[in-house]
Amino acid sequence: MKCKRCGELAAVKLPSHHAGFCPTCFEVFFKRQVETAIRRHAMIKPGEKVLVAVSGGKDSLALMRVLSDLGHDVDGLHVHLGIPDSSDPVCERTESYCRENGFRLHVLRTAEVGLAIPEVKDSVHRPICAVCGKIKRHYFNRFAYENGYTALATGHNLDDEVARLFANTLRWDAKYLGTQGPTLPGEGRFVRKIKPLYRVTEFETAAYCFLKAINHWKAACPYSGGASFTGHKKLFADLEDRSPGQKTAFYEAFLAQGRPQFAGASRGEGQDTLYACTQCGFPSSGEVCGVCRVRELVAKRKGEVL
Amino acid sequence: MITVTIDGKKPPLTYPKLKTVLQLLHNLNLRVNDALIIRDGELLTPDRHLWPGDEITVRRVVSRG
Repeated sequence: MKCKRCGELAAVKLPSHHAGFCPTCFEVFFKRQVETAIRRHAMIKPGEKVLVAVSGGKDSLALMRVLSDLGHDVDGLHVHLGIPDSSDPVCERTESYCRENGFRLHVLRTAEVGLAIPEVKDSVHRPICAVCGKIKRHYFNRFAYENGYTALATGHNLDDEVARLFANTLRWDAKYLGTQGPTLPGEGRFVRKIKPLYRVTEFETAAYCFLKAINHWKAACPYSGGASFTGHKKLFADLEDRSPGQKTAFYEAFLAQGRPQFAGASRGEGQDTLYACTQCGFPSSGEVCGVCRVRELVAKRKGEVL
Repeated sequence: MITVTIDGKKPPLTYPKLKTVLQLLHNLNLRVNDALIIRDGELLTPDRHLWPGDEITVRRVVSRG
């Protein structure tokens, strides 16, 4: 197979684009996809410093690299979850990558704020992935806000976004369908959330990491078994295999035609108002935010008084 | 004989007869964009030929949390 741009031997085949690319042209393609995403969805203002949520996996490290290569000013934040045999090596690998590539990396340890994930897991009666996600989102936003960043970039790719859209559609969750998208505007103590990789697939991000020699963390989280989005991704992978381009078509058509129908949808009577959490001051649907409530549960289980 | 290592797992699989990357993908029940197929530090597209003595690395790309 020949490269669609230069005619050299292709290294990457992308059925959804009816194309194959050599390593050099694939990088051009990848960067253009990210540039297009940033431009179309007004993700980053000129000269703006961006905080990148860095897990250490392929998507977040690829995101740091490509944003920097496109000339954006990026710092990283890694949230150390306190999971034995996992969080330390992931954190070390992430620190090593950032050090070697000249990226500034902040590390926030959840154990230091009373939220080590193994203790959280033992204290709540909900799927740990949902609670862990809530804690990470809270601290990524909080760190960005408290340290003067106005844009927070995450490594969500097309597969992540399609799986999430599919899950929201299965539930006809009008509130989430009205707000899902590559850019979530900042408001109050919420900084702007952006997803510059939303036009590239997991395969493309993995290929980009390989070709750029990005040594990302490859093992799964030890707590992630049975996550529902993985099943949704498999369904869409089958669909994409039969009809290449379906994922992009589904998501882009949603942004253009579906999302406007749900704009301003309510969560339910009295459930849209946000208050300042009485403990941390960040937006909450109740008196105390979900993260502070989890912290209370962990402390209670350990017999501590906050 | 072609040696195939999947996600770093040992021991590797061995195949006496495989002509192309696409055949390998079918054997492993993988779709074209489910995994990176690597030989000698190079990414291979599904149409590439495989040869006896090749050492292939398969790196699945779906993140698992």
